[in-house]
Amino acid sequence: MTVTDEGIYVYGIVRAGHPLPPALGGVGDPPGTVGRVEEGRLAAVISQAPPRLRARRRDLLAHQELLLALAEDGPVLPMRFGMVAPDESVIRRQLSEAEDRQLAALEGVAGRVEINVKALPADEALPALVKGDATIRGLREAARRRPSYEANVRLGEAVATALARRASEAGRDIVRELSSSAHAVCAGPQVTGCQVNVSFLVDRGDGAGFVAEAERLARQRQDHVVLRVAGPLPCYSFLEPLPSATPLGA
Amino acid sequence: MGTTTYTGLSGEVVPCPPRAGTLYDVMELILDRGMVIDVFIRVSLVGIEILKIDARIVVASVDTYLRFAEACNRLDLERDSGSVTVPELFSGQAAKSIGKSKVKDAARSVGESVRSAVGAGGDSDEESEEESQPQRRRRSAARTGAASRRRRKEED
Repeated sequence: MTVTDEGIYVYGIVRAGHPLPPALGGVGDPPGTVGRVEEGRLAAVISQAPPRLRARRRDLLAHQELLLALAEDGPVLPMRFGMVAPDESVIRRQLSEAEDRQLAALEGVAGRVEINVKALPADEALPALVKGDATIRGLREAARRRPSYEANVRLGEAVATALARRASEAGRDIVRELSSSAHAVCAGPQVTGCQVNVSFLVDRGDGAGFVAEAERLARQRQDHVVLRVAGPLPCYSFLEPLPSATPLGA
Repeated sequence: MGTTTYTGLSGEVVPCPPRAGTLYDVMELILDRGMVIDVFIRVSLVGIEILKIDARIVVASVDTYLRFAEACNRLDLERDSGSVTVPELFSGQAAKSIGKSKVKDAARSVGESVRSAVGAGGDSDEESEEESQPQRRRRSAARTGAASRRRRKEED
């Protein structure tokens, strides 16, 4: 593969011999040609990095979809979006130095997918909240008796806080219930407006059932939480060898 | 290929266009999780902010507080208001002056942060490439979905 000034974009790491999905382009416009750099028992899935690469919508999708397609044929360690190697020799050196650890990590995600669950406040459960919360009913009565800006801010703040708390509690309950059917659980990055953001590692074959169960639990708590379930996803959050796997260097 | 479903506000399961839905709901994973290798270079993500994933989110601000207070004050607790939704509450006369414009502003600012998060709005060539993508329409539809539901309710 020709090395350009822009370097080599790396999508993920797979076992050597892992087939490349046909007809899927990489990042860039036109989409980069996807190839492999093999070293020992590992391979990096790559394309030439396009000039002026940024996190465009199309490029994020290309990254994600290539990883999903690769995962159909075996385990993949997905790279974070935007990782570029200066040249092929750096990739080869990296693959050979980290071979054992990355093989163990591949073992950890083999046949598994990530499912992400986010819990958001159920704004539309306001009537249920007001009926059930004496403090808020009191603030509401106060704001009605003597309407003022301050009274409304106090009422509104209490409502917003209570909605967030209810979503957070219900979200944590749901996470607890779902955790028993996952191989691993990992808290996601904080996202504004999300009370809970958690990823689960589950067997690929159990993915649909897991999503259905999450949705069932959300329906039971629909006065408390809006749940957004995404997946199956590449295993972005489960790249360390799992505790049950052979520890590093053992 | 990935599929995404949403459990909507009233608990209904809404199948979504998997690509668009997945991207917004998992962008923070694509950008903040995944493997990092020290000797590799990371493209600059300057200007990327982790997006707010939905226009309905509760943002701790005085505007939001007033919006909730308004909705709260208009609740009729004597009546069985279990079926009254916030969009209905916001669709009344009093909300027209304040509530709706606030909601629209919120929806717009969320849209803007989505745009900046996906890197649009920078160079003009991206702008045109965005125009040519069918996903753009899906995204707009998703963004304005709540607002149009409100409008429909008013027309009823």
